Amino acid sequence: MSGILRLLLNRLGISLIVLVGVSMLIFAIARIIPGDPARIALGPNANAEQIASLRAEMHLDASLPVQYGHFVADVLRGDLGMSLYTNRPVTQDIAQFLPATLELVFLAGFIMVAFGLPLGILAARHRGRWQDHLVRVIALLTVSAPGFVWAVILMLLFAFYLPLFPIAGRISDIYDIERTTGFLTIDTLLVGNWAAFGSAVHHLILPAIALSLSGIGQAARLTRANMVETYEKPYIEMAQAYGFFPSRIARSYAFKPSLIPSLTIIGLDFAAMLGNAFLVEAVFAWPGLSRYGVAVILRKDLNAIMGTVLIIAITFLIVNIIVDLMIAFLNPRIRYSTRGAS
Amino acid sequence: MMKNKALITALCAATALASPAFAETVLRLDEVAVGELDPAKASDYADSILMFNVYDTLVLPAQGGPGHTPHLAAGWEVDGSTYTFTLRDDVMFQSGNKMTAADVVYSVERMQALGAGLSYLFAGVKAAAVDDTTVTLTLETPYAPFIASLVRLPIVDMAHVKANSDSEWGEEFLSANGAGTGAYSVTSHNPQEETVMAKSDSYFLNVADVAPDTVRLRYGLEPATVRTLVAQGEHDIASQWLPPEVVQALAKDGAQLLTESGTGGFYFKMNTQKAPLDNVNCRLALSAVFDYGTAIQMIAINDDVSGGSPATGAIPVGMFGANGADMAQAQDLDAAKAYLADCPYDPAEMNLEISWIAEVPLEERFALLMQSNFNEVGISSSITKLPWALFAEQVSNAESTPHISQLFVNAVTGDPDTLLYGMYHSSTPGTWQSPEYLNDAEVDAALDAGRTATSDAEREAAYSALNARLMAVAPTIYGFDRQSVFAASNRVKVPALSDPAMAFGLDGMGFSFRLMEMTGE
Repeated sequence: MSGILRLLLNRLGISLIVLVGVSMLIFAIARIIPGDPARIALGPNANAEQIASLRAEMHLDASLPVQYGHFVADVLRGDLGMSLYTNRPVTQDIAQFLPATLELVFLAGFIMVAFGLPLGILAARHRGRWQDHLVRVIALLTVSAPGFVWAVILMLLFAFYLPLFPIAGRISDIYDIERTTGFLTIDTLLVGNWAAFGSAVHHLILPAIALSLSGIGQAARLTRANMVETYEKPYIEMAQAYGFFPSRIARSYAFKPSLIPSLTIIGLDFAAMLGNAFLVEAVFAWPGLSRYGVAVILRKDLNAIMGTVLIIAITFLIVNIIVDLMIAFLNPRIRYSTRGAS
Repeated sequence: MMKNKALITALCAATALASPAFAETVLRLDEVAVGELDPAKASDYADSILMFNVYDTLVLPAQGGPGHTPHLAAGWEVDGSTYTFTLRDDVMFQSGNKMTAADVVYSVERMQALGAGLSYLFAGVKAAAVDDTTVTLTLETPYAPFIASLVRLPIVDMAHVKANSDSEWGEEFLSANGAGTGAYSVTSHNPQEETVMAKSDSYFLNVADVAPDTVRLRYGLEPATVRTLVAQGEHDIASQWLPPEVVQALAKDGAQLLTESGTGGFYFKMNTQKAPLDNVNCRLALSAVFDYGTAIQMIAINDDVSGGSPATGAIPVGMFGANGADMAQAQDLDAAKAYLADCPYDPAEMNLEISWIAEVPLEERFALLMQSNFNEVGISSSITKLPWALFAEQVSNAESTPHISQLFVNAVTGDPDTLLYGMYHSSTPGTWQSPEYLNDAEVDAALDAGRTATSDAEREAAYSALNARLMAVAPTIYGFDRQSVFAASNRVKVPALSDPAMAFGLDGMGFSFRLMEMTGE
């Protein structure tokens, strides 16, 4: 069995254990949040009889382990229950809202990598000079303000004072696009509507930038720090002594070893965006899963809370596995150590 | 020359052919909460907006005055506790089915079976179809404001629901689709984003061409987003839940201010079972010390429009039993000190818990104002922020209910009974409306009289007596009569929210889209 495959199986096993642990933890926490879910679901005018009846229907009178047993049995049947917030099956809600958040997070992640890494490389190559100082100031600015602050600032600048971008939603009202994948940038292309595709991209840009800014700063700072450290290594000195071009040294000898820690953090940042996107989604009225997650927590919608957390946890774990595999691919020592350990 | 003329004529003709006869008009508005499409579960403002446009009711509140007018019903007769309605025979559902008495019976039974929303209004009502256009509704006990309750009984297309659902009541189907006779049909419903409605062609009443062709009811927009959307001309009517500062800013930018009033108030509810508020003089002292004038200033949008008007007593102005405007509540420190002198508890040892609902940040300001007012007479207090869910649970028993709870309450049918009975009758303690836990025989008697009185004069007398008694026993500090304020663009005219002669006196009904006019600006 190859080292990569062994690593993959190892990570999948650990992820499964983590998933079960997360589900138990969230299951317990969701039931500790103040407020009776049945009372909230039925509204302020429900009487005690109606509340008792719904509690029984939701198994809320049973012990926690019994409730968890019902939950696991339903999940294994692919049934996450009904959302009390939307009055629809939770699976239907997730299928509708997850693509919106993923579309946003994918673009934000792309922007984070596309700008964060080059800025870090630029700062490291010109360490101590004005380019370095400029990148460090930019990185500090972007890291120090949370995404929703950037969301409001960007909206004010580029949607209010300079109306270059749309303010809210995923696509202009004039387009009625059939949802095949839920990713509007793909669905618009599937129906061959280029104008609608343009509108979907146009709507994506501001929220994606707002969401990515703190990640850009973090990626740039980390890449710079790692590369500056790598530049101190003897083999870099040797490459310089051979008269290699600085760009070649940076690309081939300094960047690759510096990428490994950055990749880990970028992977974590990327996955964390799923949960952190809710404020950006709220500002831009983006109908995504993060905003849904917050809404259902406030309403103590137990089924929807469990469904949302599980999906975010699964995405988090998948991203981590991908990052681990990429690191193993970049660093043979990790592959070989896995083989040796087995 | 002739050639040019012909060319211009041809171009004009081509342009005319390429352009539609008129542009489609779109009205965009928002609400904080997601609208519940199922009319039997409708209870809050967003739900009401959907219900009043997608569905119709047997009667409507009269515009600009008291009483009700026939709507789906052509008329009705009352014989004791039996109401016989003759239905219009020209009403079609949006599905194309004809509305009959069987649909009315189904709608009543569906509400009772689901037991959600405002179904309690129809508990004990027996519905029977006499023929296709005649239906009787028989009450278990006499209830004078029953006709008013019917504005909360939307008529559902029974055949359409059964054809599209496996279950008797079609809950899942009606959570995502409309099945009414209303002037607007549901085009799409996304609980995270918006509900889109289109003007129905088959409505039984004439709907003016200037009424919006499409309506987009958006959900959960942030105030900053609404502010930007309105300023950019991409939004027409903002919800009433915007902070006053945002409404002020929009008004300064030229937005019109629409208002809806006369249906409820803002209340500071005192727990009458908990010391020191179990003593009437202590409660009267707190009522006298509160600075009503400053409270009104805090919700003012500009010199002309405010989020409320001074309360004149326990019943909002415009309802049966309300006091005249000359009896506006005002702070009276001397009276407060006199009441405190008769209060058996030492003010220095009182530590009153003032709660505010976490989801309504405005209430924190009132809590601070109240705390400052209490300090003026030496009463100390603490402020507690309570999420709604926790509040609803705490008030279910008197011991855990805070000394003072702040609440906006409105009459869900426009009748004072639906405002006051749930708050003060001793048979309904411990709900979110009744953290006072009042148990007063005179109040109960007046509330019961209001339900059984048969004439308007008798009801006026019953509620006047109730008002006087409530002011004497002071279970509540009546902060102000509520007025909902909506900032709106000038692309829309809403007579029911801008002209008192056209107002319905029922929360949400001013948003009947068929009565709105898109100006084309």
